[in-house]
Amino acid sequence: MPIVIARDLGKNYRVAEKQPGLRGAMRHLFARKYKIVRAVDGVSFEIEPGEMVAFLGPNGAGKTTTLKMLAGLIYPSNGSCEVLGFTPSDRADAFRRRFSLIMGQKNQLWWDLPAADSFRLHREIYNLPQDQFDRTLGELTELFRVEKLAKQPVRELSLGERMRMELIAALLHRPELLLLDEPTIGLDVVGQGIIQNCLREYNATRGITMLLTSHYMRDVEALCRRVLVINHGRLVYDGALEGITDQFGRVKLLRLQFAGPAPDLSRYGTVTQAVDRAATLQIDRSKASSILSDLLSQHTVTDLSVEDPPLEDAIARIFEQSATPVEAAIAS
Amino acid sequence: MNTLSATPGILAAFRKYLRIFRVSLTERFAYRGDFFLGTFLRFLPMLTTILLWTAVFDGAKESGREELGGYRYREMIAYLLLVHISRMFSSMPGLASGIARDIRDGSLKKYLVQPLDLIGYLISYRAAHKAAYIVTSALPYAVIFGICYRFFDHWPDAITLVAYLISLLLAFVVGFAFEACVGMIGFWLLEVSSVLYIIMTLNYFVSGHMFPIDVLGEPWATFLKLLPTQYLAYFPATVFLGKTTGLDLTHGLIIEAIWAVVLLLLARVLYRTGLRRYSAYGG
Amino acid sequence: MMRYVRLFRAFARVSLLGDMAFRGNFLIKVVVELLWLGLMVFFYDRLFDFTAAVAGWSRPQYFFFLGTYYLMESLIETFFLSNFGEFSELVRTGNLDLVLLKPVDEQFLISFRHVEWSTLPSAVFGLILMTRSILQLDVPPPAMAYVAFAVGLTCAVAMAYSFLLMLSATAVWLVRNQSLYELWWLFMSLMRYPKEIFNAPYTNAIGWFFTFIIPVLLAVNVPAASVVKLLDSQMIAYLVASAVILLFVSRRVFRRAMQSYRSASS
Repeated sequence: MPIVIARDLGKNYRVAEKQPGLRGAMRHLFARKYKIVRAVDGVSFEIEPGEMVAFLGPNGAGKTTTLKMLAGLIYPSNGSCEVLGFTPSDRADAFRRRFSLIMGQKNQLWWDLPAADSFRLHREIYNLPQDQFDRTLGELTELFRVEKLAKQPVRELSLGERMRMELIAALLHRPELLLLDEPTIGLDVVGQGIIQNCLREYNATRGITMLLTSHYMRDVEALCRRVLVINHGRLVYDGALEGITDQFGRVKLLRLQFAGPAPDLSRYGTVTQAVDRAATLQIDRSKASSILSDLLSQHTVTDLSVEDPPLEDAIARIFEQSATPVEAAIAS
Repeated sequence: MNTLSATPGILAAFRKYLRIFRVSLTERFAYRGDFFLGTFLRFLPMLTTILLWTAVFDGAKESGREELGGYRYREMIAYLLLVHISRMFSSMPGLASGIARDIRDGSLKKYLVQPLDLIGYLISYRAAHKAAYIVTSALPYAVIFGICYRFFDHWPDAITLVAYLISLLLAFVVGFAFEACVGMIGFWLLEVSSVLYIIMTLNYFVSGHMFPIDVLGEPWATFLKLLPTQYLAYFPATVFLGKTTGLDLTHGLIIEAIWAVVLLLLARVLYRTGLRRYSAYGG
Repeated sequence: MMRYVRLFRAFARVSLLGDMAFRGNFLIKVVVELLWLGLMVFFYDRLFDFTAAVAGWSRPQYFFFLGTYYLMESLIETFFLSNFGEFSELVRTGNLDLVLLKPVDEQFLISFRHVEWSTLPSAVFGLILMTRSILQLDVPPPAMAYVAFAVGLTCAVAMAYSFLLMLSATAVWLVRNQSLYELWWLFMSLMRYPKEIFNAPYTNAIGWFFTFIIPVLLAVNVPAASVVKLLDSQMIAYLVASAVILLFVSRRVFRRAMQSYRSASS
């Protein structure tokens, strides 16, 4: 039984068109023009309990909008979704007790008070029994290693520490589903790593389902086996992370080390790097084996490796390929 | 912004701020809802104040008194109407709280990075708001003054009008610098919103916005006239009414100009000193 | 219901903790707020040196009116004004989303998230002013008058709450509604004076409008008049009815606003 079901989910909204400049503003005061923007355009997917799924897509692709529809914050314009057996837009209290949404840019902790005070407030808001609250809080502070920080005013914490506190606040009522919108935004690599570890461990111990959007491939690689790629409001890929390279990586990277100076390799493919005896060559995947045998027979190669190009490149290719909304979706 | 600042000289600086002026004006028009609503409802408190003072003077007439603090009934109402014109120039809604907020959440940094002087930027921004506001509320005010013409004895002469205009323009500068100084408190106090609110409320009292300062009697009236706040409301109104004339008028204008400069300098000094001890919150 | 009482206590507690984190600031606020009220009393004292009555209210009567006004203003500012002031900010920044995620009635959460403790001492000031005025009256008011006062004041606060709720709900449509405080100031400026000041040839209609159509003039007038002037049971009934209707209507308006927020935002 999937925990999240989205069927042909869509969201349109109306935006006022503003003309630039003073005259435009004056005109805008009296007559406004509107246009319809399809933020999400018929997205369907299912998520099973315990899965960690990433939403990928460029800015404005509709990731956050989809997340907000799943959270019941906004009404879908068409299609439907079912989360934890509820229709999110009904916003039943029972539904809201069972999930959490974290937005990296927004904080809900009281800025001037120690996080512990905000946690207590959460206890009242979610009406949690004291002993359960104490237990959960104890586990989470230990898991996230913030024992010493709960007494400090939130404004004195670093961004990474604050994010961990936000996570604790979001997990206090033991949600079954965690929606994360850019949870590591603004953090450095170390900070990102800590948050990733926290989330992974929490998923391992609690079996919580997570759906996250992120700009950082690192987050996705560290946490999720499955990705949903969305572009221009449409789902263009749904499947395993590795599958992206299989499906979209049309090239292989060849790293070569020659006994003598590197020869001219441009007839095989694109030379991305050539320094002294080393060269990196990008070739068409289908021709890989013939090029390899050709190379090995004609030159003295001392070292060699065949790699997939970085995941980012593959993703970027998906975005490019689905750049025009008219193009057929490549969803598997 | 950068291309503009590359051209040196006063003219370039002026153009830079002119640009801000236009941008802020544009921004102001973009939100039509509060713009219309705000302009029209503003006149309600004017009416209730007039009615209160009418009731006060009616009550006093029964005990045979007609003059309060040197103001007769019609002068009093005329004064209260004119105060709105003063405040049209001198009030700066949201300026102090905006500065304090920028200090607090760290967005002040944007002024440090850009080739802009915070105070110069803000004063052009405000001038834009004022211009927009004065233009759009000119008509309703004209209507109000048209209805209330009988409270005025005579139209002041040309010299008085010029003096009045100068006092209003200086009131804009004094009002701006005063609020800017208040906003700089944010460097020293973390949570300032309500302090600001209270200072503004007090200002309503001591600037003569509520009633002519003279009504309070001595020694209070003399004391309040020593403060720069009287130029935000009281002083321009008395100039128009012909209650401040001759040498008093010249002295008044000079002192107002001195206050304008002193407060602007103070704002600058506070800004510099504040910056030095400024630790940007929120990383 | 008990749950909401407990939740409100938790909010009040956290707000107080927040205030205590800046104790000096808090103290300044209280002192200056009281100073302002003192100044106003001083000003009205000067007025009553000049005239014996204002719109039919004698000195002690008028000061009782003033005390009632301060009490009401303080209750409004302490319990919900700042919350509504922040509401448009919540809409603008999108932080409203965080509020809507909580398994609590959203109107409750938005109205009572924060308690502004520093304005509560003004209520005490108002009460002292009222007590002093009653002691100065020639005839002490009957017991019934106090009941009418309590009922009237409760309804007046409820009415003010409803107005604020509706006003701030408009922030959803207007996005930047900085005018909320300004509009509120306007409403307060109507409540601030006895409604008899409208008894003049041209302004009668305005007074009537703000008494019967948008009943703001009832707010301070009716409870205050019940104690120091005349207990008009019809007016009390009208005030109660308006408060109940407004509470109902404002909730509807607020829900509509929330609905439109959910369909319009992205």
